[in-house]
Amino acid sequence: MSERAAESPILDVRGLKVSIAGPPELQIVRGVDLAVRAGEVHALMGPNGSGKSTLASAIAGSPAYLVDEGQVLLHGEDVTALAADERARRGLFLSFQYPTAIPGVTMVNLLRASLKARRGTEPSAREFLAELRETLATLKMDESFARRYVNDGFSGGEKKRAEILQLGMLKPTLAILDETDSGLDVDALRTVAEGVNALRSPEIGILIITHYERILNYVTPDFVHVLVDGRIVRSGDVSLAKRIEAEGYDPILRAIGEGATPVAAATGGE
Amino acid sequence: MAGREAPEASSAAAVAAHPYGERQAVDAARGDAEPGWLVDRRVEGARAFAATAMPTPALRPWRYTDVSSLAIEDHVPHPPALTVRAELPEGAYAGTIADALASRGEVVRSHLGSLVASTEGRFVAANAARWNAGVLVHLPRGSAVERPIVVELSGPEVAEGASAALLPRILVVAEERSEATVVLRLRSGDAPLLVPSVAEVVCGDHAVVRLLLDGGWGARTREFTTLRARLARGATVDVATVAIGGRIVKQTLESLIEGEGAHSDFRGVALGDHDQHFDFVTLQDHLGPRTTSNVEIKAALAGASRSIYYGVTRVEETAAGAAAEQENRNLLLSRRAKADSDPVLEILTSEVIRCGHGAAVGPVDRDALFYLQSRGLDERTALKLLVAGFFEPVARRIPLEGLPEELAATVHAKLEAADLS
Repeated sequence: MSERAAESPILDVRGLKVSIAGPPELQIVRGVDLAVRAGEVHALMGPNGSGKSTLASAIAGSPAYLVDEGQVLLHGEDVTALAADERARRGLFLSFQYPTAIPGVTMVNLLRASLKARRGTEPSAREFLAELRETLATLKMDESFARRYVNDGFSGGEKKRAEILQLGMLKPTLAILDETDSGLDVDALRTVAEGVNALRSPEIGILIITHYERILNYVTPDFVHVLVDGRIVRSGDVSLAKRIEAEGYDPILRAIGEGATPVAAATGGE
Repeated sequence: MAGREAPEASSAAAVAAHPYGERQAVDAARGDAEPGWLVDRRVEGARAFAATAMPTPALRPWRYTDVSSLAIEDHVPHPPALTVRAELPEGAYAGTIADALASRGEVVRSHLGSLVASTEGRFVAANAARWNAGVLVHLPRGSAVERPIVVELSGPEVAEGASAALLPRILVVAEERSEATVVLRLRSGDAPLLVPSVAEVVCGDHAVVRLLLDGGWGARTREFTTLRARLARGATVDVATVAIGGRIVKQTLESLIEGEGAHSDFRGVALGDHDQHFDFVTLQDHLGPRTTSNVEIKAALAGASRSIYYGVTRVEETAAGAAAEQENRNLLLSRRAKADSDPVLEILTSEVIRCGHGAAVGPVDRDALFYLQSRGLDERTALKLLVAGFFEPVARRIPLEGLPEELAATVHAKLEAADLS
């Protein structure tokens, strides 16, 4: 790793504008700056339709979205033009809000193939199995889970745990959790949160995208950002999330409506 | 014999200058010292060949496979390499038909051609006249073969330019309460090869026969198979076909489900690239009460390959309480790939328990592809996984140990170089 890369944030989003691939094209993310450094946990909050999932998908490289302007940098490298798999091999992991079912492909197949793609070599069977068992145990998941087809017939909670299982196995340097807390009962939420907390380390950056603050009761973020209408309008510490918990988004929406200047840059490092 | 040939000497079949003429069939059969009744069958085949025209696209099962420019008679039968490996209980037989003629001539005589008549069509007639890779599996009453019977059939290596034919003839006679699994490993080289093939499966009461057609043909092999099974009371036939190689693979798979409570299962997977052409025709003919059947055929198509499915589920008036499922799914991996799917139901009784059919032709699920790519898999690797997964539910239900893994490895190897644009 070059000196420059070592100093760089893990994720550096600069002036990003993103549209849904048309027709019709519609700009959803309208200028976002966001930096996540190693060891930091950021929460990105916002009302429905504010562009949170679009931002997450665009950072991950989804072909369903077009980057109109701006850049996405991973470890200081501009990856804006790279495909999703190239970004993933550089350490990015997206936990999907709505994970796709892949009939016929077992969790084990997926995990082995993903590890091979990231490491360049097939993990040894023994090493893989040990790691899988340990991660399953952490997430209180039965071993039979690993033999099921990916997300096929999974309950909402199982899908989210399957995402965290992959997160735990793949050990990314940047994890984006897109509404991983939605649709979970308290027990499942706690399990998922424990999985995320187990992952926290000085080497990894985490971006938690959530509509509610529920998960933030279990995973304490270092920074909280509020996305409204495709722009980050507030940034702060965990007290911002507490305030939203108490008051909802209305005060913020009113403040913007009254002409308050949105906080454009939210590098989180200050 | 000589006496009965004379009056026919002037007929077209007898004087034909190609290998499927009457005289050529007789000469070949005599050269192999076949018994008189079998020589007669060969003659019947040659006559049927002379009397039958090539099928045209006007016939529904041939709509998308135009063979009007194919001349079977230009393809000279060449003996294949044929091996049969089996661990058999006392009384059972698995081997060549030629070797069986002395000891079990009566079994062959009474069943060969009993399900597929030489007059049915030109490919079948050619096979009847000149089949040269005959395999008999005979399971006497109560005989259960535990390990799969493996038949390896390799087409002849013929010099470039020559047109050879390989004519497999498979006969399975499973008597009451017998059981076996038969695996046909079909292989050929790069030379052009025509394979008019016939398989007959006779299942007695409560017999269970599983048959796997493992099609690992070379790139210039053209296969035309007619397979028909007849099921007595409580019998089960389970036919699986894996079409990977070959230029043309056309398989007609039919089940006459006669006995009460009998069950027929046809499963198939096809993986195409370049200009490969797959054509599956199925018939599940429910004749007996409470009979059940299932057809599931899946094709994944790269390059300019093509798959055709035309299948009929027929439930006759006599088949009260029948249940049938029929499904064909096609995954298009490139813009030039193409599939046609036409499942048909013909229900002639009002007392059907359940009768379903489904067809689908479409590209890869983009969400699934993005999901896999987001895990670090490049597009080709992700597609390999998706295609292997597409086949997996079918492969897993083929009752042969190790088949899903074997198929997944084949899929990965073939898609490594396939045209996915």
